[in-house]
Amino acid sequence: MMETIESLLHNYYYFIAVVLFVIGFHTMLTHSNLIKKVIAMNIMDTSVFLLFVTIGYVQGGRPPIMDAVTPPAGVDYINPLPSALILTGIIVAISVTAYALSLIVKIYKFYGTIDADEIAEIRGREE
Amino acid sequence: MEEQLVTAIMMFVIVFPLFMTAVIMYVGQQSERLCNALSLATAAATFLAVLALYPEAVGGSVVEYDLFEVLPDLAVSFRLDILSYNLILLSSFIWLLATIYSIDYMAHEHGGERFYPVLMFTLGSCLGIFLAGDFFTLFIFFELMSLIAYILVIHEETPDALKAGYKYLVVTILGGLAIFLGVIICFELGGSVSIGEGPLIDEVSPLATMAFFSFLIGFGIKAGMFPLHVWLPDAHPVAPSPASALLSGIMLKTGAYGLLRMIFDVFSVEIMQQANWNLIMAILAVITIILGSAVALTQEDIKRRLAYSSVGQMGYVVLGMTVFNEQVLTGDIFHIFSHAIMKSTLFLAAGAIIWKTHKRKISEMAGLGRQMPVTFSCFAVAALAMIGIPPLNGFLSKWTLSLGFLEGGFAVYVLVLLISSMLNAMYYLPIIIPAFLGEREEEKSGDKEGEEEDWEDEAIVFNVDEATFRMVAPMVVLAVCTLVFGIFPANIPFDLSRLAAEFLLLGG
Amino acid sequence: MPAIEHYPIIMVAGLLLLAFIMPLLYIWKRNWCEPVAIFAISVALVMSLCIIYEVVQGDAFEEGYWMGGWEHFGIEFKADYLSSYMLAVIHGVGLLILIYGIGDLKKELVEKVRGWYYTLYLLLMGAMSGMALTNDLFNLFVFMEIVAISACAIISIKEDRECLEASFKYLILSAMGTGCYLLSVAMIYMITGYMNLDMVGETMALGVGEYPLNILVAMSLMVVSFGVKSALFPLHVWLPDAHASAPSPSSAVLSGLVIKIYAVALVHILFRAFPMEILKEVPMTDIILWMSTLGIIFGSIFAMVQENFKKMLAYSSIAQIGYVFMGIGLFDPERPEETEALVGGLLHILNHAVMKSMLFMIAGIIIYSAGLKKIRDFDGIGNRLKWPMYIFIIGSASMVGIPITGGFMSKLHLAQGAIAVDMPFFVMVIIASSLLNAIYYMPIFINAFLSESKHENVTFKPVPGSMMIPVVILGGLVLLFGIYPAPVIGVLESAVESLIQ
Repeated sequence: MMETIESLLHNYYYFIAVVLFVIGFHTMLTHSNLIKKVIAMNIMDTSVFLLFVTIGYVQGGRPPIMDAVTPPAGVDYINPLPSALILTGIIVAISVTAYALSLIVKIYKFYGTIDADEIAEIRGREE
Repeated sequence: MEEQLVTAIMMFVIVFPLFMTAVIMYVGQQSERLCNALSLATAAATFLAVLALYPEAVGGSVVEYDLFEVLPDLAVSFRLDILSYNLILLSSFIWLLATIYSIDYMAHEHGGERFYPVLMFTLGSCLGIFLAGDFFTLFIFFELMSLIAYILVIHEETPDALKAGYKYLVVTILGGLAIFLGVIICFELGGSVSIGEGPLIDEVSPLATMAFFSFLIGFGIKAGMFPLHVWLPDAHPVAPSPASALLSGIMLKTGAYGLLRMIFDVFSVEIMQQANWNLIMAILAVITIILGSAVALTQEDIKRRLAYSSVGQMGYVVLGMTVFNEQVLTGDIFHIFSHAIMKSTLFLAAGAIIWKTHKRKISEMAGLGRQMPVTFSCFAVAALAMIGIPPLNGFLSKWTLSLGFLEGGFAVYVLVLLISSMLNAMYYLPIIIPAFLGEREEEKSGDKEGEEEDWEDEAIVFNVDEATFRMVAPMVVLAVCTLVFGIFPANIPFDLSRLAAEFLLLGG
Repeated sequence: MPAIEHYPIIMVAGLLLLAFIMPLLYIWKRNWCEPVAIFAISVALVMSLCIIYEVVQGDAFEEGYWMGGWEHFGIEFKADYLSSYMLAVIHGVGLLILIYGIGDLKKELVEKVRGWYYTLYLLLMGAMSGMALTNDLFNLFVFMEIVAISACAIISIKEDRECLEASFKYLILSAMGTGCYLLSVAMIYMITGYMNLDMVGETMALGVGEYPLNILVAMSLMVVSFGVKSALFPLHVWLPDAHASAPSPSSAVLSGLVIKIYAVALVHILFRAFPMEILKEVPMTDIILWMSTLGIIFGSIFAMVQENFKKMLAYSSIAQIGYVFMGIGLFDPERPEETEALVGGLLHILNHAVMKSMLFMIAGIIIYSAGLKKIRDFDGIGNRLKWPMYIFIIGSASMVGIPITGGFMSKLHLAQGAIAVDMPFFVMVIIASSLLNAIYYMPIFINAFLSESKHENVTFKPVPGSMMIPVVILGGLVLLFGIYPAPVIGVLESAVESLIQ
């Protein structure tokens, strides 16, 4: 028991990432406000980005920048790859967000609301 | 004969009608006469080609030919043996007569340019079923024929026809899927689906049982076996009469053929007996016979009565498959011949009556026998054959079957045959006797209606007024066949049946 | 001519680049857009056929293609049997849809955005090719997002309220799928430290004992993610609205190709990244099998009650994608030599792509010519729209799985596979679903040809040849793959063999 708690405390960043992910997931599926859905989508993405970045982090590691002089032996660098990947991921997330927001603007023009339930109601009335 | 020549002819009889379908479809839009002529030529050429195979088939040789492989181990292949030959001879013969008959019959109907291509396509695919060298090919042609025959069923496009057609389509697809399941299991258990390689499934297992029931359902639906016959009495009567003759006369037999192949090539006599599957089939067949004949009694519409009678007669064929001795199988295969000839005669005659008088109700047919003596004589001959009066061919097949049943120790089946013959008499005689001896309705009802009728109808009342020659001739030919194949016990179909029965019992 | 090893990257990069030239071209030379797009996809099709030929015959693609020469770190493109097969399907069907779209879009889209449509279309094609080719998990993520955005955008480009709403729903659920995918990739990266599929596979085989839980969670997330994206039942909720409201060419490409590419990606990852031991331990294939079974049955049942023709086709897609997943689900890790079902499932990708895009095109033709959307209004249109309805008969026959059509061949393989792994129950499922398909497809053309026409007053616009020809070609392909599927099956058998090793 104690060991589990200890390992959780040690790996608190995994824990936080998963909590964020679940918050995002839950909000995205249950909230009817479209803007909130988009925010939730971002929370979800961010949680994964966090997880990714923490994977690459090495305790006490240095930024992976080559010095002019050869680095002293025994010094760890953090893994640069996840950070680089996450940059791409962030760009992708931003473009999806932008597209989603533009859709919401259009939806608001047509329906006069950004609440998914109300939209469903309006469509139900029409049929 | 050269083997290559035989394969060439085999391929010809399947491919030629299929190919001509396209030609006729194209020509049909231009000229009706050319369309008729081409259809007739196709049917005739096919029949002659089939005749040319006679010496080869009777010689007892088996010709196999692989066309191409669709998938690894699943080829489209063809095979000619004596059983296939029996059925292709029968089908091409009846098809030729039905095509002759349709020329005048369809002249009054709409949609001839649709009817003939379909007729030729079903001919080709039907021969494809009988000549299939494996169950996969058989299944493909079976599906093609059944689905295309839908167009024959709904030809009239009346609401009744559409309803019956829909039922037919759903049931057909169900049957096709059942056969599909059977073929798959067969392939899995036997590693092959070829016909004539001895039993594909040689032990009883749950999967084998499933295969048996799938085939039974699939072919049983086509053969109109109880309780899968529900589509038949709706679908056959609504089709144009030449098509009804083919549906009842030949296409039902594809189901029977499939069942025969299942018994002798998928399984074997030993397995059928070991698992008691032949008893299951026999029980269903007995119910089919009694039920078909009994319900036929209650039908007022002449074509519906004939359709129910087909259900009953197919029961004989299925019953005959369940007793494995030469006598019974000879009778069984001969009954396929007899029933095809008799039922085609009946449907063609009924078609001529409806075509000429627009009367479908049996009660309205009193006295018509004097108006259309030839048509009704043919009808009477075929009906008497159905009942099993000697010396007609129906008697010969029943007699052979009964002898075989007694030999195999199934006296009770003979009883079933007798009961059914009595029922047959009860529903056929009330058509024939009043037709010749009864008074015509118009005569009975006297002047009241007579005044309203115009002179043309009155002309029909008093004059002999047959359908056209091209409609009467096929009937007469068939009726003569009924008689000839019954009188001489050593006739060609009977010999062929005996050869086929020997061949099957020797292990396919 | 550049060497054939470079074809994959030229194809993907070329399509993506050309996509962004399209709007400029639309401003500058309006008439050039369509020919250029058609030319691009035709070149891509020729390239994919070269690739498939080379994969089967030669050895140019034995080694992967490392971008920029960054071996083991960079992004790798790898053309194996499955991906080259998928490339050919994408570009072959995509080309025909594009040709069809020229006529159809003139009616469905306002003129201002038509140039953008080709941008989105080429983006979609390029990204799908990338998804098929890439051997890198993160690169796959990027392509997935491009596919997701452009797929949503070709729905919402037709600006009416239904499209916008459907497109938003699709986007959100798709984002959810992507989130799951990324989390799963993070976990895989935690365990292995690689993004490259081959290396992930090698490393994962060593780490099975140490991190079983992580692998399990990663695998489940993977299935959920791709399940959402390819509309595996109960994750299908977004599909009917999205596919039914979109412009017809978009519906055709979405139903025909987009949902399949995710299935292919799942097959790639499931069999190459995860070690076979894990599949043996966890009943993941069984779960997929049952989900697909439910999808097959319920998709058909929902399709039966639809009034809108395109919506019916959309629900039918849910059932049909079930067949693809059933092929995956019927794979038994204990008996990896029984591969018929998997071949059947992958074959159904081709067959369904061909027939469903054809049916959506026919739906589009009916809307284009007569403006009819409801199935019950179709009575008697067979006499006015003769050829589309004839082809529709072929399409529905293939949906039901009648011999000599492509659908029959996939069902045959699936059924053989089901029997081979001793699960005859699933043959029953296939048969039941065929019957259901028959019940809802058959009445449409029966009524179209035989019922009384209600359209004496409706004027039927003539259908341009550019819309009719692709439909006829696809109809011919349905028959071709039903009569002679041997070459395709040969490729797929090698594909499955190399996957399972």
